[in-house]
Amino acid sequence: MATTSKQYKAIGEDLWKGRTEKINSELFALTYGALVVQLIQDYEDYAEVNKQLEKMGYNIGTRLIEDFLARSSLGRCSDFREVGEVVAKVGFKSFLNITPTVTHSGAPPPSSRPSSAAQQSGVPGSSFILTLDENPLAEFVELPDEALEGGLWFSNVLCGVLRGALEMVQMQVQAEFLSDVLRGDESTEIRVTLLKYLEEEVPVGDD
Amino acid sequence: MQAAPASAISTLADLPVRMVDSAAMDYLLIEAVNALHVSSAVAFARARKIERDMVEAGLVPPPPPPAKQQNLRDSASSTSGKILVPADEEEGVRSRLEAIGMHVGNNFAERLCHDRPLFSDSLDVIKFVCKDLWVSCWDKQVDNLRTNHRGVYVLQDNAFKPIARISSWEGRQEALKRAKLYVALSAGIIRGALSRIGFQGTVVPEITTLPQCTFQIKLPKNT
Repeated sequence: MATTSKQYKAIGEDLWKGRTEKINSELFALTYGALVVQLIQDYEDYAEVNKQLEKMGYNIGTRLIEDFLARSSLGRCSDFREVGEVVAKVGFKSFLNITPTVTHSGAPPPSSRPSSAAQQSGVPGSSFILTLDENPLAEFVELPDEALEGGLWFSNVLCGVLRGALEMVQMQVQAEFLSDVLRGDESTEIRVTLLKYLEEEVPVGDD
Repeated sequence: MQAAPASAISTLADLPVRMVDSAAMDYLLIEAVNALHVSSAVAFARARKIERDMVEAGLVPPPPPPAKQQNLRDSASSTSGKILVPADEEEGVRSRLEAIGMHVGNNFAERLCHDRPLFSDSLDVIKFVCKDLWVSCWDKQVDNLRTNHRGVYVLQDNAFKPIARISSWEGRQEALKRAKLYVALSAGIIRGALSRIGFQGTVVPEITTLPQCTFQIKLPKNT
């Protein structure tokens, strides 16, 4: 029986409430902001900063997923659509206390034959878009013109976290920002596309 | 903690305090240190290259061999000033962490102080640091405050949160070394908070045994 969206929301809420250690999100935002500024000063290249933020996020994601699995004791997701639901309603909620809305889209069908969403998800190429109404990383942040022109994605660490976390559960994904309110866009959106499922690798010597 | 506002209406003016899971912050800090190692090496390399280019162009005389007071741990320094010594790099990370801390401390102190009346004297400021700032950042108050009444204050925390869980498979010495890096951020927060309040002091962290940490704060004499 598939867990409904509402149930995931409830799970997310419970996890968040159950956390005993929380910190002020301003501290978090200020630290991250100062870090980004420092990276910009060191690299002097916005594309490189984007890359470094993503890399940092990847490392964070690989640890975060273990924390998440330990806390939530959720089982394996049946398809990519469910992954999107869990990420948005449970994942983001339990760590950042926000619930982005998630819009699914299956793999672009080779023909125009209509098929149910459930059948399409789980196929490499399917994706979901997370729309963040609020971004705790970007509190108090305003990007200067240079950064806007240079193509900085301020919260790029989130893309890395998604990539790292999902890779640890055998999914190779590509996560990228589509738009960001810091850049003057209407909303902040991250698209996560499934590239392929990874085979569980048996360590050499086993068997 | 700050006293509750008198009327219900003024509570509307207070923004709800948003919280984030502290694990997220911990992971961010761990990776931030790693990212800063890499980025400070890049920045150093670039600065060295510019220096080299300028020397080759004859614009600048060759630099003297490095004998900076920062490299206290670096005893037998290399002759050429161009090799990146490990102590240099760690100093780079340390100063970056402190700068980040300063930024956080500056802004966070503003937020914490906006309700308060003005500080009466430096002891009042230190008490604010020991209580309000410590609680907001690290969930507890300072355990021990000592002063020589001449502008030097020593704050002691017996279980300092940022380093409470540090351990290293390489042994206690290694853990201690890493902990010293993390407290640079905390020292920066304290220093930044003091500076925004108006007291330009220095903050020196010291760890002898984990997880106990002391911060020596020197405030200028005329306060």
